[in-house]
Amino acid sequence: MIKLPWLRLGTGARRVQFRDRSRIRDRAHGLRLGTKLMLLVLTLTLVLVPWLSFLALDEVGRALAQMQSHYQRLTAKNIATVFNGREDLFADLPVDSSEYETLFAEPIQGPVRLDGNAADWGEPLRKRDFGIAGDDGSFTLSLGNRGALLYLYVEVVDNSRIYRDPEYLRLDNADQLRLSFVRSDGEDGRIAVTLSEAGATTAYRMDADWSFAEAGPPETRVQGFVRETDTGYALELRLPFDILGTSVGGPSGRVRVFGVAFVDVDDPETRAVRAVTHTLPISDEMENFGLVTLRSPETLKILEGLAYADLHIRVIDTLRRIRAETGGYRTTAGPVERSWEARTLGWLSAVRGALTDVAGLILSEPPHPVADTSESQLMDVMDSALAGEPIALRRRAGDVETIIAGHPIISGGEVIGLIEVEQNIDDILFFQRGSIEKITFVAVSSFLVVLLCLIVFAGRLTWRIRSLRRETTAAIDDFGRLRANAVASGMTSADEIGDLARSVSNMLNRLAQHNAFLQRMPRTLRHEINNPLNTLNTSLEHLAQESAAVRDSKYLDSAKRGVMRIGAIVENLADAANLEDSLAAEDRELVDVQQIVESYVGNYSATHREYQLLYRGHRGPGYARIADYRIEQILDKLIDNAADFHRANSPVTVQFDVHRGSLRIAVANRGPMLAPDIAASLFESMVSRRGAENKLHFGLGLYVVRVIAEQHGGSVRAMNLVDGSGVVVTVRLPLAVASSEPVATSDSIAVAS
Amino acid sequence: MAKLIAIVEDDPDQRANYRDAITSKGYEVAAYASRSEALDGFDARMPDLAVLDIILGEEVDAGFELCRDLLARNPNLPVIFLTERVKEVDKISGLRLGAWDYQSKPITLDYLAERISSLLRINEVRASVDSRTTTAKHIGDLTLDQDALLVSWRAERIDLSATEFRMLAKLVRAPGHAVSYQTLMNVTMQSLVTNNTINTHMRNIRKKFEKVDPRFACIKSEYGFGYRWSS
Repeated sequence: MIKLPWLRLGTGARRVQFRDRSRIRDRAHGLRLGTKLMLLVLTLTLVLVPWLSFLALDEVGRALAQMQSHYQRLTAKNIATVFNGREDLFADLPVDSSEYETLFAEPIQGPVRLDGNAADWGEPLRKRDFGIAGDDGSFTLSLGNRGALLYLYVEVVDNSRIYRDPEYLRLDNADQLRLSFVRSDGEDGRIAVTLSEAGATTAYRMDADWSFAEAGPPETRVQGFVRETDTGYALELRLPFDILGTSVGGPSGRVRVFGVAFVDVDDPETRAVRAVTHTLPISDEMENFGLVTLRSPETLKILEGLAYADLHIRVIDTLRRIRAETGGYRTTAGPVERSWEARTLGWLSAVRGALTDVAGLILSEPPHPVADTSESQLMDVMDSALAGEPIALRRRAGDVETIIAGHPIISGGEVIGLIEVEQNIDDILFFQRGSIEKITFVAVSSFLVVLLCLIVFAGRLTWRIRSLRRETTAAIDDFGRLRANAVASGMTSADEIGDLARSVSNMLNRLAQHNAFLQRMPRTLRHEINNPLNTLNTSLEHLAQESAAVRDSKYLDSAKRGVMRIGAIVENLADAANLEDSLAAEDRELVDVQQIVESYVGNYSATHREYQLLYRGHRGPGYARIADYRIEQILDKLIDNAADFHRANSPVTVQFDVHRGSLRIAVANRGPMLAPDIAASLFESMVSRRGAENKLHFGLGLYVVRVIAEQHGGSVRAMNLVDGSGVVVTVRLPLAVASSEPVATSDSIAVAS
Repeated sequence: MAKLIAIVEDDPDQRANYRDAITSKGYEVAAYASRSEALDGFDARMPDLAVLDIILGEEVDAGFELCRDLLARNPNLPVIFLTERVKEVDKISGLRLGAWDYQSKPITLDYLAERISSLLRINEVRASVDSRTTTAKHIGDLTLDQDALLVSWRAERIDLSATEFRMLAKLVRAPGHAVSYQTLMNVTMQSLVTNNTINTHMRNIRKKFEKVDPRFACIKSEYGFGYRWSS
């Protein structure tokens, strides 16, 4: 309870200032945060760049896709133009093929090895099922065509494989494949392909009821290979088209008709034919013939002339049969060539990974969703084209996105077919992706660079402002005295901070000039006042000499006192004003302050019986580097001050301590406490807590003490006693280490020369 | 023939007051308002003593310069400076050897007159130093000639101002006994004296002795009281 006011009042001087400063700082803090936020927001707007770029790229991508569509439609149209009016090309198939089961022979690009495996046929096989799929004896048939050769690939389901037994002359007692066709001479042709465990097949021309081979050598033109599969056989056969003969109707006579049947024998003992599975349908006239059609070779030739890379062209007739096709779009994404920017980002793999992820995320979500129903879109294209409307659609097939365009082929005002052109647009997407990577790279790099620049710039700005602030703050000390008349930082820069620094310097300079004027003022005043004062004084003396009445007048004395008083005031003011200069010019000696203080107290007590002055504390030497009479001056002022305020009959104590590198002179008196508001300004010039009634005091005493203490690297503070009974003024001076130098004491005064 | 006292003071009122006061003491007075006026006057007739204000109009150090000119003509001329602060005494003491003193403003005319007569007497004593029996007093290594205002330390002459001499004389009157600030103040015969003034004087006196003898340590501080001479 007692300590609280002491704490508050005792440190009032510093605390008031501190509070002021922190308040200012608080206020400034909000502002600073605002600047930072603004900077951040400004920096973040840079993120808009890649976003806008992405939008722009999306537009470009769409435009490119549109162009591509347009171009593909044009291509389709151009190709269609070639076929316009060429009904003949489409006429090699009966327009109505309902009575035939049309078997398409797909073109095979590369050489084919007969090994019971159709993997080397290229394109995915079009298989047709015969019999009930999966049942014993059912089979699938694929036809291929390479040059003048017809290839057959047959996968048979057979529970029990019965190979031909060479012991028997009859051939219909083992599993076999039967080919029936119309020969060139119009007669029925029958060929049975017998299977052997070794793999190679043998073909025989058969008699009418398929029991025995015709006389003569086997049909060597039909070659094949059988491979056992999990479920039965896989047969791969090759035969020249010539065997099949040529025509049944049709203007060009190129239609070849043949049928395939699998004869299943299951019982190895009886070797009876269990079932025969035919290609369908079976008509009475045509027996069990299917119709083999080749992709119209002439059409293909025309197309091949038009084909180029990555463009898939199909010619489709009105019955939606593919009459010819060429080329193929890329079905894989292929190795994406990374842009150098993206590669450069390699060192920032995490960043790049993230970028790619982001880009992938953006790109994997196509802006215009494409249904993954490729077939239905193919149908749409056909529908539209066959209805006479050119069309282009985007199509997504698996991983690949394509544009498919269709254009009708017209002959005599009738649609006779359509051209379908399909091209991969991944190039566009790759371009988009690459560009996004590039843009992201550029944006991120510029973002980082700009951010770095901003940080550096802002940091430098902050640093400069801070050092300017530091200097400006340091230019005026806690007591409001000017410490510097210019700031050094930022003076040479051409920007606003430089301007600020210059104007601050300018301001300080003018303040310094004003200060100098104020400091000169007491000296000037002394000169100016002393002269008239002197006139006054000497005139008074003359007056007194001339007239006895004046000499004896009490007014003469009061007039002289007034003159002296004014003289003293002016003298004190000038002394105080000169104090710092004279202190700076003074020789400092190593003196034992303790001895000075103690002997001072002794002398003072002896001469001033009316006061009780007590010395307390340290008895050993305490050295400081200071002129000895300055210590005396400090004591004069402090004791004078304490004596003025001490309660009658209470002692004034002078305490001397040496403590942690400094020595302390504390003069305490019992009496009125310091008001908190005066504590801060007590050591200012011309501030006195004495009332108006006071004698020759101008509030310079404590000011002089402070200036002396500070000039010697010390400090002074006044505070109320802990118990509230009085005031203590404490002077701290840095402790000097006593060396071998001569030491000035009251007994042996020596001056370091 | 009355001694001629030259007064150089730019303020007409003060000048008149000085002239009246000094004239009344029986001296002849030549009063000048500026340095050039004074120099013209000196050409006509050299004074026996000069009272110089230091600041004359715009010339801050006019008094010192005048003093320099005067001493060039007559090295033994006694000079009294009218100065405003003790600090300037340093400047003066660096300026010359010889009989001189100073008086701080506001001055007391009686003190001024006393100083004039004292300095004139000293000058006369000095002039006749050979023909008279010396009244010098010896205190250890110190020799003090009260009449001629001459001080020697170990036979070496030390040049003190009249004020400093009087303070030293007071100090050695009773060697070993402390002399209070108040006593020393009275000795200065100045109107406004503080402890600080005494300290400054004492420092100057010490410095002058130390110039002759670096080990000089006879003037002791009695902190809070005054000074003491201890041989």
